Amino acid sequence: MILFLLLSFIAVVAAIFAAPLRAKAWVSLALTAIGAVAASVKAVGVLATGRTVRLWCIDMPMFGHDSGSMDGLSALLVLVIAIGSIAATLYSRGYLAHHLPTKSPAHVALHYTSLTLMSLAMLAVVCSDGGLSFLFFWELMTIASFLLILFDAERPEVRRAALSYLIMMHVGFVLLIVGFARLSAVCGSASFDALPAYFAARPVLPLFLVFLAGFGMKAGLFPLHVWLPEAHPAAPSHVSALMSGVMIKTGIYGILRVTAAVPALQIHTIGCILLGLGAVTGLWGVILAASQNDVKRLLAYSSIENIGIVLLGTGIAALGKAAGNETVALCGIAGALLHTVNHSFFKSLLFFGAGNILSQTRTTSLNALGGLARHMPVTGLLFLTGTVAICALPPLNGFVSELFVYSGMLTGIAEGCDTLASAGALTALALIGGIAVLAFTKLYGTVFLGSPRTPVVAEAEEVDALRIGAMALPLAGILAIGLFPQYALRLVLAAAGFFMTIPEGAGELPAVCVAVCRTVWILIAVASCLAWIRRRLLRGRDVRRAATWGCGFTTPNVRMQYTGESFAEGLQAIARPLTHDRCEGSAIGRNELIPGAHNFDIRHRDRIGTLFSAWWVEALRMLNGRVMRLRTGKINHYVLFALAFLALIFVLSTFDLL
Amino acid sequence: MKILNLLLILAVAVAIPGTINRTRARLAGRRGIRFFQHLYDVRVLLRKGAVYSTTTSALFRAVPSVYLGAALVAMLFIPVGDLPAVLAFDGDLIALAYTLALGRTALILAAMDTGSPFEGMGASREALYGALSEPALLLILGTLALLTGCTSFTDLFTVGCEGRYTIALLLSAFVLIKLVFTESGRVPVDDPRTHLELTMIHEVMCLDYCGVDLAFIKIAGWCKTAALSLLAADAAAAACCPHWWFAAPLAVVLTGCSVGVVESTQARNKLVRNTTFILTIAALAALVFFTAYLLQLNIVLS
Repeated sequence: MILFLLLSFIAVVAAIFAAPLRAKAWVSLALTAIGAVAASVKAVGVLATGRTVRLWCIDMPMFGHDSGSMDGLSALLVLVIAIGSIAATLYSRGYLAHHLPTKSPAHVALHYTSLTLMSLAMLAVVCSDGGLSFLFFWELMTIASFLLILFDAERPEVRRAALSYLIMMHVGFVLLIVGFARLSAVCGSASFDALPAYFAARPVLPLFLVFLAGFGMKAGLFPLHVWLPEAHPAAPSHVSALMSGVMIKTGIYGILRVTAAVPALQIHTIGCILLGLGAVTGLWGVILAASQNDVKRLLAYSSIENIGIVLLGTGIAALGKAAGNETVALCGIAGALLHTVNHSFFKSLLFFGAGNILSQTRTTSLNALGGLARHMPVTGLLFLTGTVAICALPPLNGFVSELFVYSGMLTGIAEGCDTLASAGALTALALIGGIAVLAFTKLYGTVFLGSPRTPVVAEAEEVDALRIGAMALPLAGILAIGLFPQYALRLVLAAAGFFMTIPEGAGELPAVCVAVCRTVWILIAVASCLAWIRRRLLRGRDVRRAATWGCGFTTPNVRMQYTGESFAEGLQAIARPLTHDRCEGSAIGRNELIPGAHNFDIRHRDRIGTLFSAWWVEALRMLNGRVMRLRTGKINHYVLFALAFLALIFVLSTFDLL
Repeated sequence: MKILNLLLILAVAVAIPGTINRTRARLAGRRGIRFFQHLYDVRVLLRKGAVYSTTTSALFRAVPSVYLGAALVAMLFIPVGDLPAVLAFDGDLIALAYTLALGRTALILAAMDTGSPFEGMGASREALYGALSEPALLLILGTLALLTGCTSFTDLFTVGCEGRYTIALLLSAFVLIKLVFTESGRVPVDDPRTHLELTMIHEVMCLDYCGVDLAFIKIAGWCKTAALSLLAADAAAAACCPHWWFAAPLAVVLTGCSVGVVESTQARNKLVRNTTFILTIAALAALVFFTAYLLQLNIVLS
């Protein structure tokens, strides 16, 4: 096993470093595809038969027993990871094409090696049973993604974002080590299978919270989300797509595994915690998303929002399980799982779209873009699909998963299973959905519609077919799940076995899916009929083109257009306490009747994010500076430190203080 | 039965604008325009050609069909009294909310497509008010689910409620009527008859539409209003007389008269007050939910 790992690692590195510059992407794609397809074949088998497949099982000296297997949940995640990583690698070929001359071949090779290793590590993470191999692949995934973010390491903000990512991930990693070590100490095994035994014997909450924080760090749980909006804009777009679409799902995977192991007696508290966290995470994410004026930051915050929705689903499922209400539990878990899949599709698509915008216009600032739908029609259409899907509007996939989560809540209310908690979650989810519409109409409206705000944007061209092809992959998923939800449901039910025993016929969900399918097709049919009628009516009539009606004002210009900032101004007025506004320059004053030239820039920073740049960080940095004086670089000093340490240990143990 | 249901909804959709106009005219001491004048207006629009802004893309042309399509599909979820809805399944409460949201999103995007600052203004307001009224709508739907134990409109209004829930049902109907005001852009949130683009919300979003497209948007507006008014009427009717022959006229009278009276007697809100107004509706909805919850607890205890 270890030998196999080492060999494949060397093979990946060697193959990518040896390949010619232009072919590195293809080698990386081939290697990723081999791993992804092999794992997907297994995963499809697991989902079809419902049996758990053992993948590896070894006994290591010192570290003990370690195994990996694939059950329904792993299989579902494997499919998500496989599609996401193939699309991202394919996309990177076109996206990095114009970077190739400016970067050294070793740099590019390192990037592609990390990309491949990250995809493979993610596949391995969801297949590990826990313990050592899980932690190993988890760490590999972190390091690889850290290197991926660092692609543009010349820019200081990229280095800062990557560093903060690395630090936060390692805090999470330490928590996971603590969790697994505790598990191992009590149960003698550090695998997820040992969790139920632990939870049955010991208090649930401490270990659960440790795992929740550890996994939540990766998933972007409030208040551990601060790395997300920094890392995503810093990373190249395919990396953002991979991290946001796929990697944060490994955090969700961990949370789901731990939640599933909690016995039914204690799961009520856990459900309430998850619901509360989900509501806060979702609301915080979506309100901050609506305040952002950078495409990638907005998308990053919306990832946090979607993690919140998944948690809401999980929480509802937990409450249902606690109350013994199968329908609620099933709706919740099916919604959470399907939303995980859905989010990976539309978020990949949207980040690829952001990559297209960045590479064609060299900016991601909402206030510089505009009117791109006419210059980049295909990207515009794909981005629109992603927008509709992420707003959970019919007829696309986001609607289906949110419908499940909502159904869980409504059934909970109707059947008296934690009515108040369900109602609270319902309110939160409704608000999240509403503000998500605001955030994404702002994004699409200012970037793709209206008139271009800068000359560069007006000259943007459509991207190459390869990148469009990469975007077609998630698009296919969005359409398939949205238009034929009953098949997606079957997939999700096959995966939900880890959480609960699926009742015969899976309750009312299949019927609901068929009805949703019918509704969606009726909607499409009605809208197309109307479009056809409209065409018929307008045929042969006088259809002209003229300037936009300026309400009597005859010389409108581009600068009068509504910007992203002005679009979200109403929400800003309500949500001011959540953000820390940083202004540069001066705004037009109230008493200035004839304003002169002003230069004004406002940024809405995350209040939680600013916590990490507060005084205590400075204090820590100063302390660190003091300690760094010990690093003299002289070997004799270091030997002295070792001696001092030994002496300390000796003294302490003599006085029995250890 | 389903056909009858659909026909009734269409009739309600056509009757409400006429009733509003009539009420307003009578309160002002006028005789008022013809009851079906709005139909003639739309017929004129349907015969016209079109002028499109040079800034707009294909999306702008597709939106009226999507907007009207969404409104029509939303109507299919609504039962009239004890008649079954055309489309009924567990969770159609959510489908209704999100179908309406689809229409709203489409119109917001179309407004942004023109690049006009006025339409951007309208779009921004519509997005904000839509976002804030969503929790109120879902909480009221949740209340109805709590009272009846069902999660589908058709079951909701046919299963029948116990007498003690009357007050909660009437309060739900009240909040739903308030939502009709915000969703269909009526005073005090928005004034469809205002002449000043700066203060418009819904009307300013379709400034650049004309002819067939504008007709589609107008019809969609009637459908949306009818759908929500029927919900309110159903909730009110469920408290006393849950039959279709009572619910359908009730919807017309309830919305037609309340909108007409409010528009004749009240001034519209200052725009900054609108958020407070909508949040108040949401708070009311939460209160109604809590009342219903307490009522329900009472039964469990005794």
